[in-house]
Amino acid sequence: MKAPALIAATFLICAVANSADQGAVAPVPKLAEMLSAKDTNGNPIVSAEAQTYFNGLNDRLKELLNQAVEKETVSRPEHLAILLSLQLRPQKMEVLLQNNCVLCHSDSANHTPDTLFAPNPEPGASVHMNLKDVVEDVHFRQGLSCAGCHGGDPAADLGHNHVKEWPEKDRQKNRAWVVAFCARCHSDPVKMHDYNPSLPTDQLAKFKTSPHGHLLLDAHDDRAPSCVSCHGVHGIRAAKDPQSKVYARNVPETCGACHANETTMAGFKRADGSPLPTTQLAEYRNSVHGKALLGRGDLGAPACNTCHGNHAASPPGVAQVSKSCSLCHSANAGLFDGSKHKQAFDQHNWPECGQCHGNHTIAKTNDAMLGSGQGQLCGDCHRQFAQKNPDCIRTADYFHQTVTRMDEAKNHFAADSERLAAKGLDVEPISNQLTELGDALKKSRTYIHSFARNSFQQVAAPGEESIRKADELVKHARAEYRYRQSGLAVSIGIIGLLMLALYLKLRQLEK
Amino acid sequence: MFQKKGHEINAPDNRGGLRGWLERRYKLTPLFEFLQHKEVPIGSHWMGWYYLGGITMFFFVVQIITGVLLLMYFQPGEATAYESIRFLTTKVPFGWLIRSMHSWSAHLMIISLTLHMFSTMMLKAYRPPREITWVSGYLLFLLTLGFGFSGYLLPWNKLAYFATTVGTQIVASVPLLGHWLLQVLRGGQDVMINTLYRFFAGHVVILPLAFVGVIGLHLLLIQRQGMAPPVGETTAPRGMKFFPSFALRDLLLWLACLMVLLTLTVFLPYGPGIPGMDWELGEKANPMEPAYPGIKPEWYFLWEYQLLKEFPPHLFGIEGPQVCLFAIGILLSIWAVIPWLDRRAYRNVYSPGFSDFGWAAILFLLFLTLAGWDIGAGAAGAELSSLPKVARVCALWTLAAGAVIIVVRYVVYEHRWFLLTFAALLHVALHGLAALSYLLAGAIALAAAAFIGATLRLLRSRNPTT
Repeated sequence: MKAPALIAATFLICAVANSADQGAVAPVPKLAEMLSAKDTNGNPIVSAEAQTYFNGLNDRLKELLNQAVEKETVSRPEHLAILLSLQLRPQKMEVLLQNNCVLCHSDSANHTPDTLFAPNPEPGASVHMNLKDVVEDVHFRQGLSCAGCHGGDPAADLGHNHVKEWPEKDRQKNRAWVVAFCARCHSDPVKMHDYNPSLPTDQLAKFKTSPHGHLLLDAHDDRAPSCVSCHGVHGIRAAKDPQSKVYARNVPETCGACHANETTMAGFKRADGSPLPTTQLAEYRNSVHGKALLGRGDLGAPACNTCHGNHAASPPGVAQVSKSCSLCHSANAGLFDGSKHKQAFDQHNWPECGQCHGNHTIAKTNDAMLGSGQGQLCGDCHRQFAQKNPDCIRTADYFHQTVTRMDEAKNHFAADSERLAAKGLDVEPISNQLTELGDALKKSRTYIHSFARNSFQQVAAPGEESIRKADELVKHARAEYRYRQSGLAVSIGIIGLLMLALYLKLRQLEK
Repeated sequence: MFQKKGHEINAPDNRGGLRGWLERRYKLTPLFEFLQHKEVPIGSHWMGWYYLGGITMFFFVVQIITGVLLLMYFQPGEATAYESIRFLTTKVPFGWLIRSMHSWSAHLMIISLTLHMFSTMMLKAYRPPREITWVSGYLLFLLTLGFGFSGYLLPWNKLAYFATTVGTQIVASVPLLGHWLLQVLRGGQDVMINTLYRFFAGHVVILPLAFVGVIGLHLLLIQRQGMAPPVGETTAPRGMKFFPSFALRDLLLWLACLMVLLTLTVFLPYGPGIPGMDWELGEKANPMEPAYPGIKPEWYFLWEYQLLKEFPPHLFGIEGPQVCLFAIGILLSIWAVIPWLDRRAYRNVYSPGFSDFGWAAILFLLFLTLAGWDIGAGAAGAELSSLPKVARVCALWTLAAGAVIIVVRYVVYEHRWFLLTFAALLHVALHGLAALSYLLAGAIALAAAAFIGATLRLLRSRNPTT
């Protein structure tokens, strides 16, 4: 009884599976013809990869492709090959297949280079746009494409009644309209919420407060940047996309496009009337921050916008410099704020951190900056501004001597430890002391910003203790090694004597 | 067995003291008499070769003593194996000495055992009636390699873990049974703590039991048959008393070995720093970490490791490693049955062909070991681009060694048979200098040797006086 039932069930399952298969969307004859078309050399126009991609499309996309072929927005196998070779994920493909603008402009049969969206244009080739930029644009992904800015209905019949929204007149000369144009959406919290609820909508308000904003909106200077100067026009990507112009590692180049260009920056002045320099990018690249961000790819390192701001970008005033630095270097800034130097720097109107460390060209600090000698930062400054207070010089020397001693001891004991480890001695206790010494040294260097001997002493004291302990441990390890060598010498002596006795016995026996 | 013909073993012994006490109970006189009369042959070759077995046994005894001491502290387990060894070497008085002696002695034992094996082979001491002595020695050699392989993993450090992963993986290439054997060896799919338990059991129980059994047979046969006299003689022209002359010399050498061992242990506690001969504990093994480049097996497995690398992924429609393992199996089998293959030595006649075979084997192993060490790669290490340079430099070293060997054999030992040595050198020259693949170069060298050998045989058969 069971066997016939099983056979029947198997047939039923096969029949259902077969019927499901029959329900799949098949390419219309014209599309099928395009998929199998060959060029004059007999090679398939639609590559094997593209064919595989087509086979993997869901029914909805196949149906849309059928419709595009029937409407002749896709009319040639070459055009079909280009679209399939983009290998877009389903959501993007769906947007593309319903967008008559992109479908039409991506077919080289319909367009000359000045209006064509070419898939892989040669560098420097005169094409209207790179098709890949169009489909990778963050707006395209969200379903906003050409019509989102240019107007018209991309799903409607073909036509070119789509330039109404453009303030065509003088649009190249005065680009002030751009920010308002982008702000139609980006400053509308309700509208933006539908696309990206976490994206702020205050960009325009901030931009208006910035020198860039004043230059563009009030002075109507055609060199002033607008949204597109930093974000691009087509092919705009999210800021966290490594290919975005405003991705952290790309920001210095983006800002430098104008700020490192002497022609563009000619005539711009600082608040004190001096010309605005164009060396910032070069200085930044050589700075500790630039090397970390651009060299090591450390995204925790600051780019231009970290200190200057993004849409409200402005040079920080003297009072704000330390606030920018303290965003990351909070411990140093906190100690400085409670130090005597804070008051003195304020009296001189010096930019706190920047006074000793510089701004764009911040170099890796070294212990030689401390101390009272010629060419040492503390000494040079105190000789000029605080000669009446010799205690300051003594404190600077104390700082310098202490951190130098700790640093030298750390290197010295590390080398000792390595040598002793190679001799088979237990160096773990020495390594532990070295870790503590390293921590104390790091803290001591930080507490220099308190410019107070007592505070500094408190954090340096464990380091001094570690030096003492490490020294003892190294001496102990060396003594242990000497003990081993002595033990070996005694053992060899005893064995040697035994061998000699054996040898003599052997000679005696063999005589 | 030690009873002398005509000796009355039941005669009452009236001697006093311990000797008399023992004699009355255990009848030791035949044994003492056997030992008193036992002689070591002094013949036409250097006496030094006779001491290598004793030296090997000395290192084995050191292994047992230090191994037992290590066992008192070692705790097999994921959270304890590495930690217990670390504790032993850093906190336990003289723990470092015991571990270092165990490691050094292991390597020195393999060195002396290899020399012992090759000297036995070259002197044809395997010829009748000592075939089983050779086979038991051969088994001891394999067991010693097993000790080395199983002991390496026990500290459960990073280096040992990955080397064992690579080493055990080779077993997977055994036809049909490979994956099953791998699972048996590892106790699972990967090297894990189960592998450590297995290796531990093998290292301290299974292998020692097997070793003691085989070495018992080996020593029994040596005592029964005595040491082999030079080829061509059934008894040695002269003899040296085993007691006390040879035994005291043995003892002297053991003391010298102990001196060397202690000196190495104190001055180079983690080995000479050569890859495959380095036992610094380093970091604990972490099976989740990816393997790092440049992992090498122990130096005595390097030739197999390098030979596996010289084989292409597929050969004759079979996986390359399988063919390689088959080839290694054939070579090791030939080595095991040499007493029966060497027909001239079987008849107690000098067999230059097999001496030459031994030297060719040394050159074959030398090239592969040097290449396994990436000698000549410089800073490039084991990168693919450095392979031709490694092959060239190693070939030059092997050719230089080969030239020295030929000159010494020709002048000192008056050897005139170099066909297989020539084939081994042609092999490395074609591979290293003419950039032919290792296997093709080997095939050409073997074909050339076969052709020359056949030609010589033909000429000799036509003119027997040549």
